[in-house]
Amino acid sequence: MTRKMVFVDTSKCTGCQACSVACKEWNELPAEKTKLITSYQTQKDFTIKTWTYMTFIEKYENQKMNWLMRKAQCFHCADPACLKACPSDAIAKTDSGYVVIDQDKCIGCGYCVVNCPFGVPKVDQVKKKSYKCTGCIDRVENNLLPACVHTCQPGALGFGERGAMLAEAKKRLAEVQKTHPKAQLYGEKEMGGTTFLYLLLDRPEVYGLPVNPTIPLSLTLWKDVIRPVGGIAVGGAAAAVVIGVFANLLRGNYRSSEDQEENASTNHADSKKGGKK
Amino acid sequence: MAVKMQTKNQIQKPIGQNRVLRFTKGERLSHWVHAIAFFVLLFTGLGVLSTFFQPAMVVVGGIQVARLIHRGVAVLFVVVVGLMFFVGNPRYHWEWLRSVFKFSRADLQHVTAFPKEFFGGHGTYPPQDKYNGGEKINSMITIFGSVFITLSGIVMWFAPSFPPGLVRWAYPVHDLSMIMMTAAAIGHMYLGLLRPDSRAALPGMINGYVTTKYAREHHAKWYDRMKDDQNNS
Repeated sequence: MTRKMVFVDTSKCTGCQACSVACKEWNELPAEKTKLITSYQTQKDFTIKTWTYMTFIEKYENQKMNWLMRKAQCFHCADPACLKACPSDAIAKTDSGYVVIDQDKCIGCGYCVVNCPFGVPKVDQVKKKSYKCTGCIDRVENNLLPACVHTCQPGALGFGERGAMLAEAKKRLAEVQKTHPKAQLYGEKEMGGTTFLYLLLDRPEVYGLPVNPTIPLSLTLWKDVIRPVGGIAVGGAAAAVVIGVFANLLRGNYRSSEDQEENASTNHADSKKGGKK
Repeated sequence: MAVKMQTKNQIQKPIGQNRVLRFTKGERLSHWVHAIAFFVLLFTGLGVLSTFFQPAMVVVGGIQVARLIHRGVAVLFVVVVGLMFFVGNPRYHWEWLRSVFKFSRADLQHVTAFPKEFFGGHGTYPPQDKYNGGEKINSMITIFGSVFITLSGIVMWFAPSFPPGLVRWAYPVHDLSMIMMTAAAIGHMYLGLLRPDSRAALPGMINGYVTTKYAREHHAKWYDRMKDDQNNS
């Protein structure tokens, strides 16, 4: 399957939250008790049962309020940090650009949780499994729209081939920038290009998104430097031991040490170091 | 000749007929608790480290059991070895710590002569104390490795209580500590079990005593001091 893209046009979003309901319905995720976070936002973060939710930000500028809404879910990065961090080969990337967790392989270690720059995956501590948005891969691979896209009434969510969708996003950006000069695309280059790409009305930091998300340095150092170099070090130590044993055999040290032990027992340990007797 | 001054601390005679007491009961206990815990932790940790080792976890009953054992044994190891520095007769533990970080010229000379020694040759180096230069380096790797692997392990265990930036660094620190201690343990076991010239040290960690011959050949500075102490007391 070719690379797909979901275009999240926040300029068209009305904040109705139908996307999060559709997500719960399709993925059979039970409702959770919500709490008012800001004047309108009812979900603070992702949970094992909530894979997408709306953030509402009220930004005042020149005595005018800008109501910034964003549908949050897994970005499905082209260069996913979670996949790199997973020690259990449970996270995979599909040709269509989806990042999916294989629950059979997942051991619930939570390495993906910590290393995701967006804080998306969450671990069920009872089941010992990590959960996040699947991008509705089960629907998409059967030529259906993702549940959230399918339900979006104002047309803020669009799905299609990445090339075509990206062109559309750029066209839309030029239009939106006339009224919102700070508007920008988010996800074109971030994390190698994300499958869920946003048109934001303001800078990413206003939305609480990382300005330049990357694979954490600690993760690169861990997997690309410490692991291979460490493997060589441990292998080197083992090889040195094997060589050491052979070197001692060749030098006849094993025989001489046995002689020494005999000497030690008969001779009250007065013999000098080394040498066969 | 030996008048017992500290009957409580020295139930075992420091210098016997042909043998010298190198490690007290407490020291041996710490060593073996550390050693056994290390291998259990290494085995169960490898199950999480990669899918290559994961199938081996059937031995303990699966990866989730391995993760539990890993945490349980980690606590046991830290608590027991930590306590040994405070209860019973902890004097020798502190002496060990002090001497490890007193890295002298003689220690350095032992380390430079060590590669030749390692492969069965004979290097020249001045008389060594209770711990030679190589043993001090092995001790340092063990001390720093244990401290860092414990601290990073706590951060990983209670990840939600720490900022993600810190938890991210705990993983490479935990791995690096493990790698260094594993490499050191491989060399350590070779010297203690397989290398003809040094394996005479092994009984010192089992019943506490090494032969007088071994003590004089490998740790002359320590042996002479012990002898003087005994003669003077």
